[in-house]
Amino acid sequence: MYPFGKGKARLIPYLYLSIPLLLYVVFGFGPSLVTVLFSFTDATGVRGQEWSFVGFENYKTFFGASNAGDRLDAIGRSLYFAFAVVIIQNAVGLFMAILINKKLRGDKLYRAVFFLPVVLGVTVSGLIWQLVANPLGGPAQSILNFFGTSSNFFGDYNIAFELIIFVQIWMYMGYSMTIFLAGLQTIPNDLYEAGYMDGASGWKAFTNITFPMIAPSFTVNMLLSIIGALQTFDIIYVLTGGKFNTTTLAFDVYATAFGTGTADYGLASAVAMIQFLFVFTISMVALFYLRKREVEV
Amino acid sequence: MKRKILSITLVTALLFVLAACGSASKDSDGKASTDGSKKVTLKIIHWQQENINNYIKEFNTKFEAKYPDVKVEYTTVPADATYDQLMQTRMNAGTTGDVDIIPLKSSFVGAPQDWSKGAADPMWKQWIDAGLISDLSGQAFIKNYNEVDVQNAMTYNDKVYGVNMGKVAFTGLFYNKDLFAKYNLQVPATWDELQNVIKVFKDNGVEALGFAGKDVWPIGLAVQGLQASIHDDQLSYIKGLWTGQTKLTDPVQIEVLQKAQTLMNSAMPGFMGIDYGTLPSLFATGKVAMIADGTWDATTIQAANPELKFGYFPIPGSNDAAKNKDLAGKYDMTWMVVDKSPNKDYAMKWLEMLSEKDNYTDFVNAAGFLPTQPDVEIKSEFIKDIQPYLENFKLSWDQLFINRQNVGQYIAESSVHAEMLKPAGPIAAPEELASKSQADWDAAAPK
Repeated sequence: MYPFGKGKARLIPYLYLSIPLLLYVVFGFGPSLVTVLFSFTDATGVRGQEWSFVGFENYKTFFGASNAGDRLDAIGRSLYFAFAVVIIQNAVGLFMAILINKKLRGDKLYRAVFFLPVVLGVTVSGLIWQLVANPLGGPAQSILNFFGTSSNFFGDYNIAFELIIFVQIWMYMGYSMTIFLAGLQTIPNDLYEAGYMDGASGWKAFTNITFPMIAPSFTVNMLLSIIGALQTFDIIYVLTGGKFNTTTLAFDVYATAFGTGTADYGLASAVAMIQFLFVFTISMVALFYLRKREVEV
Repeated sequence: MKRKILSITLVTALLFVLAACGSASKDSDGKASTDGSKKVTLKIIHWQQENINNYIKEFNTKFEAKYPDVKVEYTTVPADATYDQLMQTRMNAGTTGDVDIIPLKSSFVGAPQDWSKGAADPMWKQWIDAGLISDLSGQAFIKNYNEVDVQNAMTYNDKVYGVNMGKVAFTGLFYNKDLFAKYNLQVPATWDELQNVIKVFKDNGVEALGFAGKDVWPIGLAVQGLQASIHDDQLSYIKGLWTGQTKLTDPVQIEVLQKAQTLMNSAMPGFMGIDYGTLPSLFATGKVAMIADGTWDATTIQAANPELKFGYFPIPGSNDAAKNKDLAGKYDMTWMVVDKSPNKDYAMKWLEMLSEKDNYTDFVNAAGFLPTQPDVEIKSEFIKDIQPYLENFKLSWDQLFINRQNVGQYIAESSVHAEMLKPAGPIAAPEELASKSQADWDAAAPK
């Protein structure tokens, strides 16, 4: 009846909530709002220098300046990155979750091992793969040498971006796996037994029982990986620094704000806004379809 | 009841944390120092360069001994964009005194000229124009420096805004003297001689040439070496690009790209995967006979292998030996004092003490710089060795070049992108890269 107590005690939850709210407004919402404002100005980010409103000038620069082609390439690369990561990461994650769900000996160890990269963090993962792909006597190079070939790995225009995609998947497949595993464990065994009676086993059981039943985890995983992939900046920074055609839209935000040697926060804010709209639109479309699918089953 | 007490305690604890955040900034504005009981914290940021960092740390201890109420907080971060970002954020932090002394990676170069219409202001110029950098013109220690260097590297708008610590050359190759002696090789003075040196090494199964390709800019050092010796006058060529009299597709520039491609084809396998930190150790351990690097890394190489006999010569880009005899480079780090800093007085004292002849001499010897003060005794055998190449020290391409705004990737930043050529990059022909660069340059022309 009185979930939060009576009298003044009722206010305590609001008091608690007001603290994160305050922190969020000061450190999250406020700066975001300022970014929107900045994107319409010619602010340089230099303290004490005047700035004024310039309307959509920064957005025009993004789409119309002479390097707009490079920026569109970066958007294309973002989409490619997200597409590859979302498909492979979830497929691998689901596959591992199903295997681990089969009460294998040592399944807890497998869980820990596959989840480990998530805990390691970007810098450590980046360092690990740079060591593995060290062109001077690194293990990956030794294997290639055995087959009579060699590679520059992260310094190679042809494969650097694909390698980053690989590392990103390696880093987060354990995360997808865990969410799928949670979903799988909610499926009661009776369903499979009943299915077995009706002649559904193996692949049939998977498509007709497992997959529909984990629809909510599927939605969560798809959304998280779409948003995560479109926002990826850190692993690119660590592995190639945006060189060798590995710049994505998210990386462009950073490069515009800090990478040019001349301060232009107005343009950088506009790029950030475009990045936000880009991620927002794609995830909303994805959410719409994913929810529809959930309802249907 | 118990729960209530717990919750109230937690809320109070959180409030304290928040309150502490508020009061912490008050401490760091330095005003507390007036009562004498608290120390002033002098904040200096810098990029990571081991030999220089070590000297500055040593110097800071000396400084603290002389001024007991000062504590120096010396922060170093990687020299790449991380440092640029740190400068920017610290400078913008407001008047809380987040930084007192900032070194610039070079001197005051890159300001738009009357011939470079529409070029963007470099960061240092924006800062000075906004009144964030202290005017050092009246300081006595400025007189310790060569007048010509003060004029060339520390002055903007007729006022001195920085203290430049020395020059570096970077358009040459380090070479292993023992390996050269073993195969009876002389220091090459022309392009053909360099090709011969490379050929002899290759024939004997020695890796001839090393680049730190993964970071890209070290390849640019070699390219700037080629530019410095192939071009007759780099500055007039750059002016010509702005006025349309010269083009990036001119034969002279094609020659630069072709020769850069030749050098990359002669380089050790996997050079595009080698990062800048690894290269000196490969050279120091004799795994490669020559590397493209700046003179500042001589101390690093020496530390990696004190036994190694090595030298440095300008990349001979031309077959006319007279055009290859000088090194090019830049004025390296320039200290600036943040004008709004509450510790300005101590920042000046810090610079004054560093500028004293003894300390400055120790600094240039530790850093491997060429001095900007007169009559400094150079202890480094290495610098004495390269002295002949420094008599007509030239400014390098990146110090002279002014870029257009919003340029495409083929001309962005360092402006010459030899790393996009095979075997490093995807483009096969130098002519193709040159015409793409010129197209990007034309597209960015101010309207």
